[in-house]
Amino acid sequence: MMEDQEEKGNAENGIGRQKQVKDEYLLQFLDSLDGYLTLLDSLSSTLSQGWLELASARHAMGASRINGALLDLKVHAAATSLKVSEQDVDSMESQPCFTLCKWASSDNGERSSGEEKSLSPQLRHRNNSQLSGIISSPVSFSHFFNFFLSCEEEKVSTRTGTPLILVDQQQRQKSLSVFGVLVSPKLRSAQLSFERALETLVEIANLHTTMLSMFEQVHKELENTNG
Amino acid sequence: MANRPQIRTAASALIAMIADEYASSVSRTMQQPYMFDHLLMQVHCWDTVVGFLLAGVGNVDLRRKTNYLIVDSKTTIKQIEDAFKEFTSREDIAIVLISQYVANRIRFLVDSHNKPIPAILEIPSKDHPYDPAQDSVLSRVKNLVSVESVASDRR
Repeated sequence: MMEDQEEKGNAENGIGRQKQVKDEYLLQFLDSLDGYLTLLDSLSSTLSQGWLELASARHAMGASRINGALLDLKVHAAATSLKVSEQDVDSMESQPCFTLCKWASSDNGERSSGEEKSLSPQLRHRNNSQLSGIISSPVSFSHFFNFFLSCEEEKVSTRTGTPLILVDQQQRQKSLSVFGVLVSPKLRSAQLSFERALETLVEIANLHTTMLSMFEQVHKELENTNG
Repeated sequence: MANRPQIRTAASALIAMIADEYASSVSRTMQQPYMFDHLLMQVHCWDTVVGFLLAGVGNVDLRRKTNYLIVDSKTTIKQIEDAFKEFTSREDIAIVLISQYVANRIRFLVDSHNKPIPAILEIPSKDHPYDPAQDSVLSRVKNLVSVESVASDRR
């Protein structure tokens, strides 16, 4: 009798835990979906600002100075790239995490990793600062090199002693130099706007992978329930 | 643990772009037609491409292949498909940015991409704002929700 009651209790606990896990997946999925849509809206605003600034720069500098004929088709590597690392979702699954590496120059050699934000699958909490608390950059792994996060407050010097802030500015200027030596301040503003758009896009990409992962989990759970 | 799918990690990966040309009278007067024949770019408008190039994502390799495509009126669906297939098969590309307008032209191909890397992100262009209803991932979610609601009604 006692054993039957114990077994019944254990079964109920198991069902309760299963339900809890399903709810957690669903909540994480909905949370990532909400974050995805919010960030896309933010991206649209940032891009609109960038387009306007680019149009202003074209107006100030002239259409002949800002057109596609000036695009650099010489062999060159991207100054801004991504680092892809692996994030463990659970024991059976992992998903990629993207980190933006802005203005990484081959002249700089090894740099410190600067600010690294840990990633934990947690629910977002809405507050006045729209993007705070959102899943941020992942924990990096040891198999990378020549990498740093573009965080102005965490700069350290390169091997040559040049401050990284200065290196960033040099890289930015190099990118702007395609359109001439003296460029409109609006073009510089447009550059910063598109840099912000890039940061938003990397966040969107991370939320995108989380959303897909949670979507698969929820889909699996629903199939198990129906089956 | 032995059966976990392998994630392709990378210390330095690229962002690819496929964009549609901003069709305005201002653009037509200032742009030369020849330059769009060989420019492969994100899926955004020309200004978006230039903007992201300013941000430093442009890459030209030793074979003079770029990581971007600009889609104009002369660009065929086949060319867009070939560019998309190339970008999604390259090992050095982690994210493909494609304007939603162009993605709609190759919707079947975009929807059939189910690998985690590269991530395909649909973004707005100047002429065509973002529509969540057309997004590949969100439409899959919507289909799932509608299928489940029909199934639960039947039960």
